[in-house]
Amino acid sequence: MTGAAPLQQGMLPDTIAKLLGLGAFGVAGDVVAALLGAFLVANFLLINTAFAGPWAKRKITAAFTDRIAVNRIGPFGLFVIVADAVRLLSKELVIPEGVDRPAWDLGPILIPFSALLGFAVIPMGSGLQLADPETGLAFAFAASSIASLGLIMMGYASNNKYSLLGGLRAVASNLAYEIPLVVTGISVVLFTGTLQMSAIVEAQQATFVSVAGVAIPQWFAFVNPFAFVLFVLANVAEVGRNPFDIPEAPTEIVAGYQTEYSSVYFVLIYLGEFIHIFLGGAIAATLFLGGPAGPGPAALGIVWFTAKIWAFFLLTQWLRSAVPRLRVDQFIEIGWKGMLVLSFANLVLTAVIVGVLA
Amino acid sequence: MNAWIAIGALAVMGVGIPLGMMAVSALLRPGVPEQGKSATYESGEIPTGSATGIQFNIQYYMVALLFVVFDVETVLIFPWAVIYQPALASGVGLATVLLPMLIFIGVLVVGLVWAWRQGAVKWVSSPRAARQKTERS
Repeated sequence: MTGAAPLQQGMLPDTIAKLLGLGAFGVAGDVVAALLGAFLVANFLLINTAFAGPWAKRKITAAFTDRIAVNRIGPFGLFVIVADAVRLLSKELVIPEGVDRPAWDLGPILIPFSALLGFAVIPMGSGLQLADPETGLAFAFAASSIASLGLIMMGYASNNKYSLLGGLRAVASNLAYEIPLVVTGISVVLFTGTLQMSAIVEAQQATFVSVAGVAIPQWFAFVNPFAFVLFVLANVAEVGRNPFDIPEAPTEIVAGYQTEYSSVYFVLIYLGEFIHIFLGGAIAATLFLGGPAGPGPAALGIVWFTAKIWAFFLLTQWLRSAVPRLRVDQFIEIGWKGMLVLSFANLVLTAVIVGVLA
Repeated sequence: MNAWIAIGALAVMGVGIPLGMMAVSALLRPGVPEQGKSATYESGEIPTGSATGIQFNIQYYMVALLFVVFDVETVLIFPWAVIYQPALASGVGLATVLLPMLIFIGVLVVGLVWAWRQGAVKWVSSPRAARQKTERS
């Protein structure tokens, strides 16, 4: 971890402080620069979510089912994003009888909060990284886990039986797949010897093998494809997408924990879920796909990073169209009996291989 | 710059964006409260009884208990994984760094096998649900 000090340079708030000359104002200047950086990062995610939610999701599902989907407003129907935002925000907020008020309102705030917070440590390339603490990976996992709290609050406070069941299922699924996710993530740390996100990305720069003159980088997805598959699967379960979308399961419990939410709360929950998908993709990209690495100059980092998180989004939508939902008993058993055992086997094997090679 | 200032700034954004959207929505949306509209949704039936007092499968509780054990375990594995490679590089023997963790994981795997054989991770349907199940011929 000798490289930690220079890596701290070049974070987004530092760049902003340098550009605006905020360095002279001490801590106040730091706070302003950090807020501006955070505003940029949050808006980058909001834009991605705006494309993903009202537009790309419909287009992708339509393509899978041989339909056209939104195509009336603007080029390729893109202005439906604006129309949908206005439509959803101007809906009446129906407050059901007997809801547990502060908790019912706090749940939808917590979901996007937790997903956004996780992005604070993600290196997005082209100098877009807010912070790079030494505990980066643990922080990303911790921040994305806060969402469970919001889910159980929403489920319990809604005064609805479907919501309660959905909330319980959501927590059971997060609990069951969190451990395989984290343990598989740790197996990457065995290679890097650090939790710092920028250092994990840097460790993947070296050449793994050269095939016909093309240097294949040491991305951990190539070094340990088994761990990559496990991680992506656990990630899909963690963000509650098919085939692990048992918490929502529209045919069984209406919409799960979000049954009683309308208007802006509905938007917030969906916003949170989409940012969560992108966060899952971002953690997977950072750990296994070299983060913002890709062919071309380093300035293109953000393009590659965006492509990688959208690839994960596309995978979730593909699974949504192609794979049937698991039953709740299968879901629990795959998590605790399958993924958990496999992830520990992966950890031990990786440790042995790293140990023997070192 | 301290990394946690930037993380705190994003936390402020993470709260501010939802609150801002709620404020915009409060300005735009109508409010027409009616009887019936505010009933909770139970597929069109009139809701009966309290929702928070319903009985649900004990399995949710069992897996939560199991989770506590394994979550504490991952907390202990994190520091080991961080020092693993540097320790090997500085010449500490493989057995010294690997064996204690193998024993630690082994103990937990024994615990998991025990819970597995006890049926803690097997989804049991309640006797009443099994009795009321309609068989498809």
